[in-house]
Amino acid sequence: MTMNNTTLLDVDNISKYYGSGHTQVRAVRNISLQLDAGELVLIMGPSGSGKTTLLSMLGGLLKPSSGRIIIDNIDITDLKESELPNIRSAKIGFVFQAFNLLEALTVEENILFPAQLIPNQLKEAKKRANELINRIGLSKRRDALPATLSGGEKQRVAIAHALINKPPIILADEPTGNLDSQSGQDIMMVLHDIVRDDGCSVIMVTHDPRVEEIANRVLWLEDGSLNDRSENLHDWQHCPVCNMRVDALTAKLNGEFNAQQFVFCSTRCKERFEDNPTAYL
Amino acid sequence: MLRWVVKTLWSQKTSVIVSSSGVAAAFVLVVILDAAFVGESNQIVSYVRNANPDVWVMQKGVSNMHMATTFVWDWKADRIAEIPGVKKATPILYVNTIVHVGQQKLFAYLMGLKANGQRAGPWSIAAGKSHPARGEIILPYVLVKTAGVKLGDQAIVADTTFTIVGFSKETFSMANSIAFVHFKDLEDLIDMNGNISFILVDIDDDQKPEEMALRIEQEVDKVSAIPQKIFIENDFQIALLMGVEIISFMTIIGSILAALIIAFTMYSQVSKRRRELAIIKALGYKNASLYFAVVFQSVIITGLALLIALGITWGLLPLLSAVSPMVTLDVTADALTRMTFIAGFIAIVSALIPAHYVARVDPQTAFKI
Repeated sequence: MTMNNTTLLDVDNISKYYGSGHTQVRAVRNISLQLDAGELVLIMGPSGSGKTTLLSMLGGLLKPSSGRIIIDNIDITDLKESELPNIRSAKIGFVFQAFNLLEALTVEENILFPAQLIPNQLKEAKKRANELINRIGLSKRRDALPATLSGGEKQRVAIAHALINKPPIILADEPTGNLDSQSGQDIMMVLHDIVRDDGCSVIMVTHDPRVEEIANRVLWLEDGSLNDRSENLHDWQHCPVCNMRVDALTAKLNGEFNAQQFVFCSTRCKERFEDNPTAYL
Repeated sequence: MLRWVVKTLWSQKTSVIVSSSGVAAAFVLVVILDAAFVGESNQIVSYVRNANPDVWVMQKGVSNMHMATTFVWDWKADRIAEIPGVKKATPILYVNTIVHVGQQKLFAYLMGLKANGQRAGPWSIAAGKSHPARGEIILPYVLVKTAGVKLGDQAIVADTTFTIVGFSKETFSMANSIAFVHFKDLEDLIDMNGNISFILVDIDDDQKPEEMALRIEQEVDKVSAIPQKIFIENDFQIALLMGVEIISFMTIIGSILAALIIAFTMYSQVSKRRRELAIIKALGYKNASLYFAVVFQSVIITGLALLIALGITWGLLPLLSAVSPMVTLDVTADALTRMTFIAGFIAIVSALIPAHYVARVDPQTAFKI
């Protein structure tokens, strides 16, 4: 069991580039991040901001182009490809938006599936699977196939499946994205309880603003860069050109006219405003 | 992992059974061809096996019966009979020839039997006489079914007409059947007196065939004497040599066909399961585990195919024998063992391409919706 106030994840200035020369795309740039035991951190941001790339790197599925990632005191940056699966199986639990259960296996078999990766613990894992099934409220559905489960039930199974090897870190990619509001709320509470009761740390990528209520920190990822956001979270203003709602705390396109501050949703809107500000006031 | 492999296959049983049946069809083709070939080869040596003397004596340098020509002076049979330890020496005259029966031509060993030569005659009679007199012939019983002949009908060999007086069992083969006539008739037919082809030597119980064969060669000029066991082996090997390339060719074709079907099935299974493979990789399973899963799936499909093939073969054998009595089918344990090894090899080879595909599955795919 990991202890509170212990750094489980230390991300130091990682970047990820695709391609080279003029066609080079920088998906993630100079991100640094620390995650302590028992922390639930949200990463929010628009589509294409690099959230999945970041999550893939944190999960040891993708190597950063530069920088270092240290998980539970193990620097995974220099590990060989063949060594990363061991880190993934022991240190990371994944929860995906699409649930990603194995269709041919029952609820119990799906939960136990990752346990086979840890030697000599199957007996203990069966006991733990039993506890997890009870905890997620699916004790009567342990023999059901994923196809017969609701979205919320599938995601609960996916969470149990992520927890079976007692990983210190859970990476959740839009875990409520495919769920109705009630099921989404249930899943959030399950994740919250895991952080509180098991001392796990959770990094969750989400668009769901309700999750902010249970998060210790909210990070905003845009154009591959991460910004920490304060507790009091939003300062909603409207773009003067198109009237789109923009959070002034994270907005990068700002302007001033007649001593008044403005935020813009896009470069195009900002240029239009600067051409003729009075037309938008 | 094994549970996932088995349950994934089970969840697509129809597709798996169809694929296995395709592979089974290729296996059946190979097994039946082999059975036909071995059956025929066995029929070729059926006379040698059933006559079953202790030692065969023939012209020096000859070592088998099938397709062989051998002539020995007939007095040598008497000479051999006088050797201590020899119980009996039965001479036969023999040629390879064509027997015309109705509209059917029968390629046959024509055996000339002396009046006291029952020892060398047919060993199982279905109808009629077991020993031909002058002008008479005994033919395989299969001809009753295939040519509609009956006792009393005529058969022609070269320019001589014989009356069919008996039908023998286990003497038909597509390559060469066995017909029996009187010794004198065959002598007249080939216009040769004082010669015989083989001498079937039976020895006393306290004698050893190998030693007796050696003694015969020492005491009788210009003959080869071969113990029964070696003589059968020689004949069988010659029969095998005649068809071994065709069977090898068919085995290769059948195996390639089976491998292609399995590879295609595995590839489509793996393609369908691409996302699940990505999930499994993301969880921390290594490529080696996934290769094993693919090979294991391939082995299951191939094993199932083998079982289906055995079932089909078991059902087909009596059916084929009933539909085509001219074909003798003999499925041997050797053939089945060989097929099992081939199937194992196919299972592994046909998993190579899907395994290559598995290695390239990107675990990040698991993040995609």
